[in-house]
Amino acid sequence: MVQLLQGLQAIIQSSKSGEEESMYDIVMHHLTDHPIHDGFIGKINEKFFHEKLFGIFDMTITKWVLMLWLSAFLCLLVFIPVARKIKNSSYGSRSRWVNLWEVLIAFVHDEVVEPNFDHHYVKKAMPYFLTVFFFILFCNLLGLIPGMSTATGNLAVTGGLALCTLVGMLGIGMIKQGIFGYWAGLVPHGVPAFVLPLMFPIEIIGLLIKPFALTVRLFANMTAGHVVIIIFIYLVMMFQSYWVGIGSVAGSLMIYLLELLVAFIQAYIFAVLSAMFIGASMHAH
Amino acid sequence: MEVLKEGLLKVDPGLLLWTIITFIVLLLILWKAAWKPIVEALDARAEKIRGDIESAEKSRLEAERLFAEHKAMMDKAKEEAASIIAEGKADAEKLKNSIVEKANQEAKDLIERARREINLAKDKALAEIQAEVVTISTDIAAKIIAKNLKVEDQKALVEEALQKIRTVQ
Repeated sequence: MVQLLQGLQAIIQSSKSGEEESMYDIVMHHLTDHPIHDGFIGKINEKFFHEKLFGIFDMTITKWVLMLWLSAFLCLLVFIPVARKIKNSSYGSRSRWVNLWEVLIAFVHDEVVEPNFDHHYVKKAMPYFLTVFFFILFCNLLGLIPGMSTATGNLAVTGGLALCTLVGMLGIGMIKQGIFGYWAGLVPHGVPAFVLPLMFPIEIIGLLIKPFALTVRLFANMTAGHVVIIIFIYLVMMFQSYWVGIGSVAGSLMIYLLELLVAFIQAYIFAVLSAMFIGASMHAH
Repeated sequence: MEVLKEGLLKVDPGLLLWTIITFIVLLLILWKAAWKPIVEALDARAEKIRGDIESAEKSRLEAERLFAEHKAMMDKAKEEAASIIAEGKADAEKLKNSIVEKANQEAKDLIERARREINLAKDKALAEIQAEVVTISTDIAAKIIAKNLKVEDQKALVEEALQKIRTVQ
């Protein structure tokens, strides 16, 4: 996947020379982050975040950070009133709005958490996976609104989320199995002692590959659709013809609908794989 | 690693940290304000609905049992009613028969008595007629005798009568 993206980038970059605003610029403008310099947030950036935190973390508020905050805010805006309504109606609310979210919450419960956790831990695990699912879902869907951008179409964002899953895997594993027990449990039982030096690094790599796969999968899925939509639209400018416009609008509309589906599917997959990894880390294999 | 610094695959540590911060803050707020009440409410509702279904099942069984009981009672009552009707019919039949028999008997008695009375009356009448005949024939005889008897004969007869009385005395 990474190679594919590098290839894509190479192709896009190759068209860089020549036109004033090339395809590369358009795609990069839509799919990459840029700090905000003007307005209120620009001032905050200048005042508080002009220096890198610990020399590594450039905490400048960027468009992507704003998108993250917006989807987090939407989550709060949706779920806090919904929670109150669900709590107050003991036989289920009649409101379609509440029922819509309830169905999704039940979906996370039935499909994500329940199959991967012991019955006893389901209730404790629910909040984390609900947050993962809805946060990613909101980010994905917000990215489909013209003018906004997909926060999850960035390796740093998906990496951050996957890092939370990794910390969850390690933390829960070490709490449940003991610190030593967890690391010992990484290698399957019954393995001859002389293979251990070989097995242990492989298992460690396997452990790290899991969140890495999460990172790349979500990023690539969210980016690919956008690239295709942008290229479809760019075709119109390239050929300067209305007839191409009809085709490319129809094509990008189809991709857009597919993107809607992918937004749900990727949120589900990220949540279900995180649940699988964290659920599996509770028991030695 | 160059590709991670610029372009599409850029990994900005600041954004990564912002993601984690945003995510954790969101997680904590939603945990307290939304997920906990929602999960509890949904669990409570599931429990409640399960309980309701159970009690509905229970009351359904109860209703079925009551219905069967009721049906049995109805059947029994019907049977009883039928037997009472049959009994009544039989009683009525018996009563009718006895009444008819009694009436017949009485009629027979009445006829018998009437016959007896008739016989009695006939006998009495016959006796009376006999007496009357005797009297009338005596009278006739007397008249006949009185017409044909001469004085001497009368005398002789009186004498005879007196003689008889004397002998009696």
